[in-house]
Amino acid sequence: MIYLDNAATTFPKPEAVHQAMEHFARNDAGNPGRSGHHWATAASGEVEGARQEVARLIGAPDPSRVALCLNATDALSMAFHGILRPGDHVVTSRMEHNSVVRPLNALARAGLIDLDRADNDMTGCIDPDSLRRLMRPSTRLVAMTWASNAFGTIQPIDQIAEVVKTQGALLLLDASQAVGSIDVDVAGRVPIDLLAFPGHKGLMGPMGTGALYIRAGLDLAPWREGGTGGDSTLPVQPLAMPHRMEGGTPNAHGLAGLRAGCRWVMERGVGAIREHERLLAARLLAGLSSIDGVSIHGPAGANGRTGAISFTLKDLDPHDAAGALDATFGIAVRAGLHCAPEAHASLGTLPAGTVRASLGPFNTTNDVDHLIDALAGMLASTAKMSAC
Amino acid sequence: MDHGRYRRQTRLPEIGEDGQQRLLDSSVLVAGCGALGSVAAMLLARAGVGRLVLADRDVVERQNLHRQVLYDDEDADIPTPKAQAAARRLSRANPDVLCEAVVADLDRTNVLALVESVDLVIDGADNFELRFLLNEACVRAGRPFVSGGAVGTYGIQFTVLPGQTACYACVVDEPPAPGSTPTCETAGILPMVSTMVAATQATEAVKILVGHSDRVRRTLLSMDPWIGTRSEVAITRATVGDGCPVCVQHRFDWLEGRRGGQALRLCGRDVIQVPPSAGARPDLAKLAASLPTAAHAVVTPFLLRFVAGACEVTLFADGRALVRGTEDPARARAVVAEYLGM
Repeated sequence: MIYLDNAATTFPKPEAVHQAMEHFARNDAGNPGRSGHHWATAASGEVEGARQEVARLIGAPDPSRVALCLNATDALSMAFHGILRPGDHVVTSRMEHNSVVRPLNALARAGLIDLDRADNDMTGCIDPDSLRRLMRPSTRLVAMTWASNAFGTIQPIDQIAEVVKTQGALLLLDASQAVGSIDVDVAGRVPIDLLAFPGHKGLMGPMGTGALYIRAGLDLAPWREGGTGGDSTLPVQPLAMPHRMEGGTPNAHGLAGLRAGCRWVMERGVGAIREHERLLAARLLAGLSSIDGVSIHGPAGANGRTGAISFTLKDLDPHDAAGALDATFGIAVRAGLHCAPEAHASLGTLPAGTVRASLGPFNTTNDVDHLIDALAGMLASTAKMSAC
Repeated sequence: MDHGRYRRQTRLPEIGEDGQQRLLDSSVLVAGCGALGSVAAMLLARAGVGRLVLADRDVVERQNLHRQVLYDDEDADIPTPKAQAAARRLSRANPDVLCEAVVADLDRTNVLALVESVDLVIDGADNFELRFLLNEACVRAGRPFVSGGAVGTYGIQFTVLPGQTACYACVVDEPPAPGSTPTCETAGILPMVSTMVAATQATEAVKILVGHSDRVRRTLLSMDPWIGTRSEVAITRATVGDGCPVCVQHRFDWLEGRRGGQALRLCGRDVIQVPPSAGARPDLAKLAASLPTAAHAVVTPFLLRFVAGACEVTLFADGRALVRGTEDPARARAVVAEYLGM
């Protein structure tokens, strides 16, 4: 069996992740921060440890600015509802996942915000000039993906951040496909205000984990309120980060795994993972280009893209291709719209969508070659498809 | 009790006033209201079974009318869900009967609660997965399962009395590969045969409900009235080795989701995946050749694609199917059952 759906969630996870979760579940699983006994303090240590590893990985100087949550969708909703006020103008792109599209559309349809979309080229690359032209004095937020989940396009983040900074707006990036796979530094040359990402993709943690980085000095209204441990006499959510954003018992089991996942990523090195996936992507792109009847959508080369590669096949619907790859060859890919219908509309791949093969740290050249051979075989037999 | 209505039934010493009262106090789930279910339901309603739960996911279609006696052209024109049309007809046939229509796909999420709410289950299923599910639910809940099947000119019937007789899984250990067995759509169905099987099911049900489980036939009855054959085969509980996974080991793989699965809407629009029910892999080429011309079947070594009414079906080498042209998972399951028997 070959797993090529790492853009949905990475699989398998490093052994250390399983061990950390099992150890935590068997030995330390009190409620973090709620009591002073052994199990509660051990759990606190695990959660804070996860926060520190995540902060290190994204270059956040202060771990308390990292709010841990359930997934990227949770982090994005936390950001939208914590930042936006009636009358705000927001700019997004056409390359977004529904985790950005749906909450913003809901706010726009309720008449609370004005929403614009920056243009992109046919590889899915967002045009910073188009973004600049859309900016207004009332523009509060620019919310965009760092890398397209549907086509793998890595966006020109520095240029985008420059435009946003010049115009005095806030920048929220959906880094779901970026963290762990490409270098992410929130305190880099052009600082990033808000960064939302899951723990279960490039960070190699389990599902049910995610985080929102919030730049120091930026206060968000809490999106989820409730118990935090600490000073329970406060009638409302505490002001101090990260507790302000973290009402309710966290997924401490998952965070124990996320902590180990982040460590694994840093030990291996994001640069090395990036290079591994880039080489595999180059091999896959070359293989796909050599087959008659395959069209690649998104960047044609291995640079400027992640390991998520979208393609369509002549006379073979994406879902049929994915079904046959799984049923006959044991190769798992994803077909359809990848929860990003606007991106597919923009690149002309509606309504059927594409087949997406997405590479991860555990994939090998062998996996890529198997996929190429399977596709070549399927297309050859489709070409002489016999009617009964 | 309306003594006039049941006079010629209570006169039978096998039933009597006492048995009639038991019928009026009893309840039956008719799981699937097609050829078998509609005939069995009609007989049980007229016999005075107090409560009938009529479950079916489909609407009445013209091609049903030659054998599904509860429905008419008006039902097909609207079109009306079979469960609702059946409930309406049966309430009129016998006002003593409380008829409940359940317009739903019976699956592992709802089947056990429905089975537990009645005294006995009539098998009106059009696919193997549902029979395995019903069997497990009946064994688990301790309800008699009166099984039946008919296709072409051939029919079979046997009854599962949990804890006493063989269960469905003792007799059929695995669902056949998709498309490897005939269905009413692919092979046709002689309405008299399905009616005979359903009448046999209703007879066994009445024996149980009036308290004469000892009179239930313990064999598998098969018949082909067109050829004129009728035979009985002894069936026994599978107790060799670890024994039947269901009625001996009490492992309920279909009910608990380790086998089969839910129809799933895939990312995009109008694509529904129906999971494979069998371990056996379908023979795509053979199946393609057996489909009617109107199905416009095309086949490769990797998939078989064909038209099924308003839907298009793609079947893969591991038995899973994709159904396009409907947003309703229940409709997708119905199409797959109709053509592939899974």
